[in-house]
Amino acid sequence: MNIAFDPASAVMNLPRRDALDKLTGRTRYTVDAIGPDMLHAVIVRSTVASGRIVKLDLSKAQALKGVRAIATYSDAPWLHGIGIADQPLFAHEMIRHHGEPIAAIAADTEAIARAAAAFVEIEVEQVAPLLTMAEALEPSALLVHPRWKDYEVLFAGAPRGGNVAWEAHVNRGDTDSAFARPDVTIVEDCFRVSRQSHVPFEPRCAIASYEDGRYHIQCSTQVPWTVRNITAKVLGIAPSRVRVTVPAVGGGFGLKFDCTIEPVAAILARKTGRTVGLRNSREEEFLTCLCRENAEVQIRSAVTAEGEIVGREATVLMDCGAYGGEQIFLTTMTAHTLGGNYRLGSVKLNSRAVYTNTPPNGAFRACNGVYNTFFLERHTDNICAAIGMDPVAFRKLNVLGDGSLGATGQVFNGDVLKPMLERMEAFRAAVPDKRPAAGKRLYGRAATVGTWFVFVGPSSATVNLNIDGSATLVTSGVEIGQGTMVQAMPQIVSAVLGIDPANVIVKTADTDASGRDVGVGGGRTTVSVGSAAQMAAERVREQILEIASEILQTPPSKLVLAEGRVEIVGLPGSGMSLTEVIQHAESIHGPISGTGNFTGPGTPSLPGCAAGHFIDAIDIPVFAVHDCEVAIDPDTGHVEILSYKVVQDVGRALNPRAVRSQIQGGVTQGIGYALHEQITLGSNGNIEQSGFEQYLLPLAEDVVPVEIVLHEGAPSIGPFGTKGAGEIPIMNVGATVACAVSRAIGRPVTELPLTPPRVLGLLKGADHTAKCSFLYFKELVDL
Amino acid sequence: MVLELIINGETRHLDIDPRAPLLDVLRGEFRLTGAKAVCGEGFCGACMVLVDGEAVPSCLRPVGLLEGSEIVTIEGLAPVEQPNAVQRALLEYDVVQCGMCFPGMVMTLTSFIDKNPSPSREEVKHALTGNICRCTGYERIVDAVMSLTENDEAATS
Amino acid sequence: MQADAAFSTMIYPRTIAEALDELAEEHAIAVAGSTWVLRAPLRHEPLAPRFVALNKLDGLRRFDVTTDAISIGAMVTHDRLAQDLPEFMCLEALRSAAERAANPGVRRIATIGGNIAAHDFSASDFAAALISLDATVEIAQRSGLRKMLVGDFLAQRKALERPWLVTAIVVPVDPLRASAHERLPMRHAGDYPSAILSASANRQGQWRIGVSAVEHQPKRWRALERALQRQNLAKAEDVARELAGAFSGLNLPGTPGWYRVSVLPVLVRRAVATIEARLAVMT
Repeated sequence: MNIAFDPASAVMNLPRRDALDKLTGRTRYTVDAIGPDMLHAVIVRSTVASGRIVKLDLSKAQALKGVRAIATYSDAPWLHGIGIADQPLFAHEMIRHHGEPIAAIAADTEAIARAAAAFVEIEVEQVAPLLTMAEALEPSALLVHPRWKDYEVLFAGAPRGGNVAWEAHVNRGDTDSAFARPDVTIVEDCFRVSRQSHVPFEPRCAIASYEDGRYHIQCSTQVPWTVRNITAKVLGIAPSRVRVTVPAVGGGFGLKFDCTIEPVAAILARKTGRTVGLRNSREEEFLTCLCRENAEVQIRSAVTAEGEIVGREATVLMDCGAYGGEQIFLTTMTAHTLGGNYRLGSVKLNSRAVYTNTPPNGAFRACNGVYNTFFLERHTDNICAAIGMDPVAFRKLNVLGDGSLGATGQVFNGDVLKPMLERMEAFRAAVPDKRPAAGKRLYGRAATVGTWFVFVGPSSATVNLNIDGSATLVTSGVEIGQGTMVQAMPQIVSAVLGIDPANVIVKTADTDASGRDVGVGGGRTTVSVGSAAQMAAERVREQILEIASEILQTPPSKLVLAEGRVEIVGLPGSGMSLTEVIQHAESIHGPISGTGNFTGPGTPSLPGCAAGHFIDAIDIPVFAVHDCEVAIDPDTGHVEILSYKVVQDVGRALNPRAVRSQIQGGVTQGIGYALHEQITLGSNGNIEQSGFEQYLLPLAEDVVPVEIVLHEGAPSIGPFGTKGAGEIPIMNVGATVACAVSRAIGRPVTELPLTPPRVLGLLKGADHTAKCSFLYFKELVDL
Repeated sequence: MVLELIINGETRHLDIDPRAPLLDVLRGEFRLTGAKAVCGEGFCGACMVLVDGEAVPSCLRPVGLLEGSEIVTIEGLAPVEQPNAVQRALLEYDVVQCGMCFPGMVMTLTSFIDKNPSPSREEVKHALTGNICRCTGYERIVDAVMSLTENDEAATS
Repeated sequence: MQADAAFSTMIYPRTIAEALDELAEEHAIAVAGSTWVLRAPLRHEPLAPRFVALNKLDGLRRFDVTTDAISIGAMVTHDRLAQDLPEFMCLEALRSAAERAANPGVRRIATIGGNIAAHDFSASDFAAALISLDATVEIAQRSGLRKMLVGDFLAQRKALERPWLVTAIVVPVDPLRASAHERLPMRHAGDYPSAILSASANRQGQWRIGVSAVEHQPKRWRALERALQRQNLAKAEDVARELAGAFSGLNLPGTPGWYRVSVLPVLVRRAVATIEARLAVMT
C-alpha cells in the first residue's frame, strides 16, 4: 500500500520513556517480582559431566517440611531442540554435562528448597567425558547421543551422525583447480577461540502459575513464543495451553534467546497448585550459560599476485556442548561471515557442530560472526603479508559490491563495504593517530571489515487507535535494554499516524495478545517487529484517511496526518483533529485497528551451493568497518586500546543517539572478548569461572569513547530503510584488536582473548599459536 | 534477633538473623527491590546503598552491624517526581539501557559528585571501578557526570 | 534466614576479654568489615554459625600518630587509612595499598585487621605493604597482648593458639626511608592483581620487600633485599629475575604461575625507580 509520507519524520532522538523508573529503582523486572507470596524453586543439577543415572531417590527431600513438589523427567518426557529434537528438560537415564538439571524442588522458601536439594540422592555411574571436540571426533569415541538416529528431525537436509550434531556445506565453483594454479600463493592458517559468557545483570528467572487449565509464565526472556512452544513441546501439550508474558528485562544479549528454566517453573506451578518463582543464582548463570561457543578453524586461500582470491576453503568445528541448540542453526552463518565479505572465485566450506560432554552453548550477540570475523581478518592480514599488499588496499580491492556473488551464490545489492572503507580511511586521516600516547610501548593499528545479517523471520503487530487520539501497539517485542521497544517502535507508529510518540502506548509482550514472533535478538526487532508495526499503523492510517476523506470531501491522496490532525495538503488548519475522526468512525463502524505482519522475503542463492543451511542467503546484510589503535606493554603483556573507530551500515538510523549507545556498548563487550573474558573448562567438564572474581568484565577505565560514523543509504527492506543496529557493534572487535596487536608485537595472533599472559607469552617467543589437529581436520568422515 | 534499622528515614523493626546481608533484607523483607542482587561479592556495585552517607555494597553488610546507622536506598535518595542532579543528567543524556546497574551507579555517582564537585574524566572512571555496566560501555555515563561538574572539560556526546 | 531464639548468631562483645571468650568457641569467627566473611557461600563454605562482631570494642578504631610510629586500630578501614595517614615518604606504600586495593565501595568497609587476618586470601595489598614497612601486629590472646612482625604473623596465623584477635598494627616512622607499592591487575584497575610488590629503602641500601598474590601466602623477599644492598640499582630487574625462581607461582585459570613470577621483576624495577626518586628529594 503506497501511502506517501516522509520517512524522515520517523527519525528523532526520542528519549527512553522507561529511563526514569530505571534510574529511581522503580522498574519491576521479573527477578524483583519473585517474593514471599509464592513458592520458590531450585534446580538440582549434575555435578559430573557424563554417566548413567543408577539411582535417583527423592524421598528424603520430599519429606522435608516445607517442600511442596519435586519435578523430574517424567513430568516432561518430550525432547526439544533446533533442527533436531535432542534435548530433554531434565536428564533421563544419562547425564551429558556438568550442571544438567536432574530435578527441581518447589518449597515455601528458597532456603528450604536448597536444603532439600542436598537431600536428593543421586548415584551416577560415571563415564569418561568427552571434553573437547578432538576427543569427540575420534573414531573410537563414545557417543554423547547413542540414540541420535531416533531423534525427531525438525529441519531436514543436513548430514549428521555420531558426535556430529549437524553439518553445513558450501560448495561453489572448483576449489581444487584454484589451489592447483601455478600463479597463486597459498596461505593456510589455524585459529581457535574459547567461550564467552553474556552476564546479563538480571539472571534467567520465571514466575509461573496454572490458571484455568493453562500455564502462565512470566519470565525474563527475549523470546516469549519460543518459551511457549518449548514448554508445550516438553510437556506434550498444545502450545495454546501456554501463555507467556514479559515485563522489562534486565539484559539478555542472546542468553535469553532460548528456553531453559521456564518450563521447570511451569511444571512445579501445576504440581503445587501455587505460583512458583525460580531464578538462577549467579553461579548457575555462569556454570550453565549458553555461551558463545568455542570453535576452531582451518582455513586456506589461493591468491594471485594481483590480490585476487581465486579459492578459499575452510573447516570450522563448533562446540555444541551436550545438546545441539543454536550451534546447529549457526552452522548456516559460516557461509555469510567466514565465507563472506570478499569476492571469491571458488569456495568450499564445512561447518561441523560437534557434541561434547560440556554445558550446552547458545547464541550471544552476533554469535559465530564474532569469531569467524577474527579468523577471517587475521587470515586476510596474513595473505597481505604473504603477497606484499597493503591490508586496506587489499580489502578495498576485494570486498563484495553491487552484483557480487556471495559464498552461496546470492547476488549482493549496492556498493556498501568499499565506500565504508573509504569513509574509514578519511576518518582515520582526519585525526592525528595516537602513536605518541603509546610512549615506549609497542604500537599497532588495524582496520577490519565484517558482515552480519538481520535475523528476519515472522513478526506480527496490531495497532489499536484509542478515542483520545493515542494508539496502542501490541507486539511480542521485548525491551531488553536495546531501546527498540521504547524508541524505534513508537517513532515508527507515530510517524505513520502523525501523532506524538508519547501517545503511542507500547504493550509489553503477552502471547495471548499479540501474534507470533521469533523474538528479540539477531538485530531483528526494528526491522521485523518494526515492519509489522508499520504495516499495522498504515492500515489504521488508511481507515482514518478513508473516513476523513468522506467528511472533508477530499480524496485520501490529498490528505496528510500530522500533529494529531488530518490536514488537506497545502491548506494547513483546514482539516480536522484526529479525535474527531475517531469519534465519527467509532459511531458508525466501531473502534479502528489494524494488523500487520512480516517475514523474510527470501533471497535466492545458487542452487546446489549450500547444503544443511537454515538460511541459504541473507535478506538484509549488515556491514561494518572497524579501526583500532593499541599500545602493548612489552614487560607485562597488557594491551591498552588507544582509539576505536566504527563505520556502521545502518540503512537509516531512526534514533541516531540510541544507535551510538548500542555501538559503544557492543564495542565494550567486544573489548571484553578480545582482551579480558576467558572461559576455561575443568577436568569435571565444568566451567571454571563461577563469578565476577574469575570472569573479568571490562570496567570504565578499560574502554575509550568509540568514534562513530553512521553509514546510511545502503539498500534495506526494513521500515524506512533501516537495518538492525544492535548486534553488529560487537562483531569486529576481536578481529580488529587481534590484527592491531599482531602488528604491534610482530607475532601471529591465533587465539583470543589476548590476556596479558597470552601476549607476554607471544612476546617471549614461546610457541603459543593454536595448533590444528590436522588428523581430525583432514580425515573428517563423510556422513 | 530483633533488630532496629533506619531505612530511608523510617525506623523499622525486624526479627531476623543478624548475619543476613542488607541486600537480601531490603529486597526480601522490605521489598525495596531497587538495589539489585547481581554478583553477591562486592564487585559489580548493583547493590550500592548509602550507610551513614557512604556508598557501600549492601551484599557485604550484615544487618546485625547496621543498627543505628542511617541507610538510604535508591528509593529514598530522591522522589521519582524529583530526581536528583545525577539522575537528571543521566536522563538528559539518555544513557540507560537495561537499567539493572543504574540504581547502584546513581548511588555511587551521587555520593562521589557530592564529595568531588570537579573531577576529571579519569577520576570519574576510577570512581566507577566498583560499578560494572554490561550494556552501555560507560562513556556516556561519564559524559553525563561531567556535565554536572565545575570543570571546563567539555563532555563529548 | 530464620532467627533461632536459643542461639545468637551475632554477638557484640564490649571488651577484648569477652571477645576472646566468644572466639574460643569452635563455631565463632571474628567479623570486622565482613567483606571476606559474607562471601563464604560463594566459596561453598557454610556461613559461620556465630559472628563475633568487633564493632563495639573500644580502641580498635584508634589512629595514633607519633614521631616514631603510627598505631592503627584493626577496625580502621582502607578509606580512613588512606585519608588519615600522614604524608611521610616512608608510608607511601601503605597509602598506595589502602587507596588501590579492591574498589571504592569495598574500601569504605573493609578493615586492615580483617584483611591481614584472612588466612586464605592470597592477594592482600596490605600484607605486602606492611612487610615492607617492618610493621608489627598486636594480637590479643588470653595470655595477654603479643606483638609480632607482620611477616611472622602471616606465616603463623593459621596455627596461632586460639582464641586470638588482631587489635592494632604499628608502623614505624622512619624519616630516612622511602617506600613504594606496585600491583598488577589484569585490567586497568580492580581485582585481583597477578602480583603485588611493596618495598622500602633508605640511602644505606637497607631494603625491605613484601610480595603478595604470587604465591598462596604473602612473604618477605629477603634474598632480593640482600642482593639490592650490594647491587647497582639500575640492574634491579635483572637481579630480581635471577632470584624470582624461588617463587612457585600460583596457578589459577587465566593467570598462570609463570606469569606472576615473570612480572615480579618488572614490579621490582618500577618500585625501585619510585623509591630512588623519592629518596632523591628527601633532605
